Amino acid sequence: MAKKMPGDYERIQTEGMYRIGADVPTIVYREIGKRGVKRIDGYEKASGKALYTRDIQLPGMLYARVLKSPYARAKISRLDTSRAEALDGVRAIIRYDDPEVKGRPLNGSYFGPEWVCPDLAGWALKPVHLVLGDEAWYEGQPLGVAVAADDEETATEALKLIDIEWEQLPFVLDQEEAIKPDAPVLRPGAESNILEDPRTRIEKGDVEKGFQEADKIIEFKAKRRAHLWAGAELPSVVVRWRGDNLEMWVHSQQPYHQKMLLAEWLGIPMNKITVHVPYQGCSFGGRGNPANNSENGMNILASLLSKKTGRPVKFLYDRSETFFGESGDMMVSHFKVGAKNDGTITAVHIKNVFAVYMCTPGIEHLIDNTKIPNLLCESIVADVSIAPAWWCRCEQLPNCFCLTLIFDHVAAELGLDPIEVALRNDGCDGKDTSYLAEYKRQHGFPERDSLRECIEAGKKAIDWDNKWHPPGTKRLPNGKMHGIAFTWDHQWDDVRGTGSAAVMIENDGSVSIIAQHADIGVNPWTTYCQIVADELGVRFDDVNIKPFELDSGFAMMSPDGSCNLVSNGNVVRKAAQKARRMLLELAATKFEDVKPDDLEVKDSMVFVKESPEKKMTIKEIVAKAMPMFDSCVFWTEAPIVAWAWHTQGLWGEALETGRPRLCRQAHFIEIEVDTDTGQIEVTKVVNVNDVGKAISPETVEGQMYGGTYMGLGRALTEELIWDKKTGVLLNRNLLDYKYATMLDVGPIETIIVETGMGHGPYGTTGIGEDTATIIPALLGPAVYNAIGKWIDDFPITPDKVLKALGKA
Amino acid sequence: MKEEQSVLSKYLCPYCSEVFLDRESLKTHVIKQHRSEAPPSPEGMIRVTINGEPYELMVEPEWTLYQLIHDKLGLTGAKMFCDRGACGSCTIIMNGRPILSCMTLAIECDGANIETIEGIAASKHPLIDAYVKHHAMQCGYCTPGFIVTAKALLDENPNPTEEQIREALSGNLCRCGTYPQHAKAILEAAEKLGKGD
Repeated sequence: MAKKMPGDYERIQTEGMYRIGADVPTIVYREIGKRGVKRIDGYEKASGKALYTRDIQLPGMLYARVLKSPYARAKISRLDTSRAEALDGVRAIIRYDDPEVKGRPLNGSYFGPEWVCPDLAGWALKPVHLVLGDEAWYEGQPLGVAVAADDEETATEALKLIDIEWEQLPFVLDQEEAIKPDAPVLRPGAESNILEDPRTRIEKGDVEKGFQEADKIIEFKAKRRAHLWAGAELPSVVVRWRGDNLEMWVHSQQPYHQKMLLAEWLGIPMNKITVHVPYQGCSFGGRGNPANNSENGMNILASLLSKKTGRPVKFLYDRSETFFGESGDMMVSHFKVGAKNDGTITAVHIKNVFAVYMCTPGIEHLIDNTKIPNLLCESIVADVSIAPAWWCRCEQLPNCFCLTLIFDHVAAELGLDPIEVALRNDGCDGKDTSYLAEYKRQHGFPERDSLRECIEAGKKAIDWDNKWHPPGTKRLPNGKMHGIAFTWDHQWDDVRGTGSAAVMIENDGSVSIIAQHADIGVNPWTTYCQIVADELGVRFDDVNIKPFELDSGFAMMSPDGSCNLVSNGNVVRKAAQKARRMLLELAATKFEDVKPDDLEVKDSMVFVKESPEKKMTIKEIVAKAMPMFDSCVFWTEAPIVAWAWHTQGLWGEALETGRPRLCRQAHFIEIEVDTDTGQIEVTKVVNVNDVGKAISPETVEGQMYGGTYMGLGRALTEELIWDKKTGVLLNRNLLDYKYATMLDVGPIETIIVETGMGHGPYGTTGIGEDTATIIPALLGPAVYNAIGKWIDDFPITPDKVLKALGKA
Repeated sequence: MKEEQSVLSKYLCPYCSEVFLDRESLKTHVIKQHRSEAPPSPEGMIRVTINGEPYELMVEPEWTLYQLIHDKLGLTGAKMFCDRGACGSCTIIMNGRPILSCMTLAIECDGANIETIEGIAASKHPLIDAYVKHHAMQCGYCTPGFIVTAKALLDENPNPTEEQIREALSGNLCRCGTYPQHAKAILEAAEKLGKGD
């Protein structure tokens, strides 16, 4: 047999590891894929009963806060806490020079320096990561002093009473300024602000050869400025010591990591820490930054203050403090693209300069997703005096930015429909779609053309054939210029994620999913219950999950990287399949002359396949199968509880792990530009996502329209603005940092395509990150289509539009 | 924990030590039984009705209404999101109007009639089921603020248009971007209310 393409998958080691090939379901879908399944978090959230970390209060609880640097770069030269200590209601103070913290960094060395540690992603840019230091590398850095007091106001007041002298140091905000020879060098001992990263040069094929083959060379420069995720619930943690045991309520999407890191830092065993993870008020990856100051650092300081005072401590950040360390990255890029007249792209050369770099240089989607044979991406990563970025919906922003701008610039220069250019270059790793078709044949996938299907559905919805026009040519009756644009991509990031969970049949026949998991809003628990219901054969209403009560040792994959469902769907499915087997084995002993394989389960009833009138409720079968009973019982049977583990893949390595991405997505946007004011109005958005299989269609749609609002915010209004003279952030609140509201966007149409070609359970792919990450750059070609001028500087604010029109 | 004690106190008759649950009953008792002047209201006391229940509460002058209802009374449905009157997550209804509890001082609320999400849910208002049905939530943190605002709208205007709904809810921020689902839920709830369901 020919070697299977595209890799040899050496890393598949055990039954728990990911699967190569199409997932042909073995069950009849009853709950899976159905609309109208009642979301199990719904009533709690709508009625105000849902508790979030910020809501947790314990008897005798103190409130803690930490000092933040008011300067872009500064050092504490003198610190006197006596006035703060004397304030009525202050219960404990920790200073940077106290022995508990002195010189101690944030930790995370569990798996080596590249994993769950402060040296990951944007944080790699900062030379020190002390829990409480005396030097600030960015405005808003926690340092100096942490204080615990009877209430929040007293803690805040105590910070104001600290007498402190700062030595302000030279700073630099802009990455292009930072790499100039005369820029102040920010990192001690370094010769320049250029940082090393192995991914700063990625090369495939020969770009010079590709440019020679091209009919046309297209060059342009583009810029992405910083935006913030700014989740709804403010950062907090509650910690309580019970003797040697520690209990904490975290605001994190990765509760198990928090426990791991805190145990390591404090030098106590993990089995002495109990973590609770209540509902989480947004996250999008933002509270998935386990090793930074606002999670690990906060947990450590709260633990120390709680130990010192013998009381529970709630550690809080206010809104302005969330503006530091939670932004996306910034990039300035120069593009050189070679293309043939028919739209075939022969070579792409990208040169980037990054600040607060997120380790995603911008060319990966052209590798994963196109047949372009010659690619070169060279990046310079600059250190700047700005808080590090974090991966938040998501680190693929540079990739989507580059893909959209390259394809739409090429189409514009060649005078082609951008849809034609997309279809012409679809492929994988330099090979065309026939390679993908062969892969699908070899691995049992349906041979569907995902991109074409997405495009056809989207074209119809937005009426592309009638509305698309040459740039700058359509003035509407209201005087505004009409613009329309298209972009595409693949469904990414269904390749990682590890989790475990148990499925237990209680002795009344109801079913519990046992595991810890953070609900950040993607309706995960309903989907797990749908899967367990269908796999076991029970009614949806008979399944429940109570994950934040249970630091049970089973930890589901955190909702990161669009890998929540593709990982945990497999986990609960496998556990349910095992539990079903146990149930049938027990049931076989309760019917006459049947073997387990003679039985079937449907609607929470077990019956004999050949004679369905012979049936029993699950309760009747499991009534005596229980983990414990009191002493008066005469006998029990083994409890029906089964656990499973699953690893969905290795981060980012779709091709190396033998799973090229087969599902695609297409996005369309329609706008009106007021050429007098520069105002852009988004009048319609159409998102088409091939999610493989939608377990909960409403949830998929929620991610698609939710991502649209976030994406358009990033495209139009969301921007962090610094004062160039002082290096201080000017808009650190939600009045001046503007999200989209209900009035800001016209109708959003969401179209779900289900080809079954995802690598997740039942053929699913992740959906959480796509739209918010793709939409921002799509505004650029839409504005070009409206006014005939490229504005490759994001966000596209009215002043830039007027400048492009020569009016400002 | 001076704050905890100061919030809810029982009312003890200074003459016969009989205990009353609210100041009004104590006042009536003192005047009637002991033919005496009513004891003066202590400084910092407010009387409010919350979800139909009368409360007499001692508040510090700097407390916001949000702090009072969320931190002290444990009505945690009102949420702290933007920290300063930009997002609508802490919305409650006061005397029929939706207001931001984080921007309102508790001590200024004497005599107010307050409704929170907890009261709206307890009354089985159709908005609750409609919000669940239409997935007008993701993380759910801002959801109570939206529902309270929508309830105030329906009290005022039982048959709002979609445009009026969008206008009424435009002061509420949702970072998950659930916006398109709200109008559907509110229109359905309005229809149910109209039918008297």
